[in-house]
Amino acid sequence: MTAPQSIHTGSLDVLGGEVLLDVSHVSMGYGDGEHEKRILEDLNLKVGHSEFVSIVGPSGVGKTTLLRGLSGLLPPKRGTVSVAGQTITGPHPDIAAVFQDYSRSLMPWMTTRENVAFPLQGQGVGRRERNRRAEESLEEVGLSGQGDKYPWEMSGGMQQRVAIARALAYHAKVLLMDEPFASVDAQTRFDLEDLVVNLREALGVTIVLVTHDVDEAIYLADRVIVIAEKPATVVDVIETGFGTVRDQVDTKADPRFQDARGRILTRLRKA
Amino acid sequence: MTTTHTRAPSAETKAPRRSALLQRDWSLLAQRLGALGIILALWQAAVLTGLLPSITPTVPEVTLGLWTAVTSTSFWTALGQTLSAATAGWIISCVLGVFLGLLIGPLRWLDRSTSVTVEFGRAFPTIALMPVILLLLGATTSMQITMVVLSALWPVLVQSILGARRLDPGIADTVRIYRIPRLLWFRRVLLPSALPFVTTGVRIAASISILAAVGIEVLTQVPGIGRMITLAQEAQRWDLAFAYLFFAGLFGWTVTALLARAESSLLAWNRQASG
Repeated sequence: MTAPQSIHTGSLDVLGGEVLLDVSHVSMGYGDGEHEKRILEDLNLKVGHSEFVSIVGPSGVGKTTLLRGLSGLLPPKRGTVSVAGQTITGPHPDIAAVFQDYSRSLMPWMTTRENVAFPLQGQGVGRRERNRRAEESLEEVGLSGQGDKYPWEMSGGMQQRVAIARALAYHAKVLLMDEPFASVDAQTRFDLEDLVVNLREALGVTIVLVTHDVDEAIYLADRVIVIAEKPATVVDVIETGFGTVRDQVDTKADPRFQDARGRILTRLRKA
Repeated sequence: MTTTHTRAPSAETKAPRRSALLQRDWSLLAQRLGALGIILALWQAAVLTGLLPSITPTVPEVTLGLWTAVTSTSFWTALGQTLSAATAGWIISCVLGVFLGLLIGPLRWLDRSTSVTVEFGRAFPTIALMPVILLLLGATTSMQITMVVLSALWPVLVQSILGARRLDPGIADTVRIYRIPRLLWFRRVLLPSALPFVTTGVRIAASISILAAVGIEVLTQVPGIGRMITLAQEAQRWDLAFAYLFFAGLFGWTVTALLARAESSLLAWNRQASG
């Protein structure tokens, strides 16, 4: 490798090892034929095991549409998404998701524990086992002993932790996150970012995060994919090279962080 | 340990707050009794001054009539007949209305294709159907229950459709991502999400059920409180007729109040989450 203090232009392929998530020639859009509104054009991306990939782009570029495509909620117009070698045709057991609007994704009539255990109930996991797994996941996100509370008894940051715990309890291989920390205050946001960093290190989850926040994208990711233009395409790929440990002060003061930040912001200003 | 900590201070603040609440309850009760007293006094005055027809019973006469009613077995039998018909019709309306509503609400094509029919049914004066139903089923309890269902079904159905429509898109996405099976989705997501609307329909249906059950007894030969009112009227016992009327109203009100109370404890999450 070259000098450790400089950033690299990354690849859309994985560096080495197995491919877990394979996005191949994916185009997304709404409508058909003449009236088709193309949102995203020919995206190719491979994500490896335990890798953290951020997709960053300006607001309205189609990040949410892309994530809906990756999660199986919206089929791509062209191309395929496959996970562990299997092409997905809809929501898949290996894919979990955390959305921006936590208050709308948790069910207010269920306790925190019931919310976390609910997807497991759908998979036919017995009550004792699913409660155990829910408790375990709540502990991992720092909410042990809070299972009997209702979501509306919790702060926004805690609710988002519950949504993350629900994804973890599901034991999916890939965790998709759509602007997950956009509706919380700055301090809570830092706490949640570090929580995700730690979870990745401790559990080896593969994470794909979409965000419009350049700092967040760089801070969390191994690779940052920059998308822009209409319809959206990949305009840059950056490898951060931070490893698995992050620090809100040191990492953000790192010259590589500053380089990446400058490069992405300049590229996005052009778009 | 954390739970005992959070509970301890609330126990201290609860005592004075409760007495203040109690005081407000008493003054409210006094005001309501006052309003009732004024209405009764106006009634009595209207009868004595000849403003109302002379056959109208006075307040003491009606009070005596109430007593005569509650001490007779025929009254309780009639009450039982009316309430069981109303209850049967109400339960059928609720089950049918909730089931159909939650089926129609989430399916856009079904919702669109049935909306005119549902609006028509809701606006239709069901009482006009009675001659037909009477001809088909005779003056029987099953005719009465059929009529109650035809009247009380609509509010439950309309409210259930509205409730099912309002399922949050964020929750709908979550349910799809985690591949929640249809039946579990219905029971644990759609039903609780629609419940705040459904309970309103159920409550309206309860008062309509009693209204319809009594009304049909007044108009036909079906036994019950309504029939007792007609019989008392035919026998010129105006005091008894008014006493029965009072009971018909009282039961409608009691049922509605009980349901409102059950609803507010069942839906604590809804008040908290939206307020």
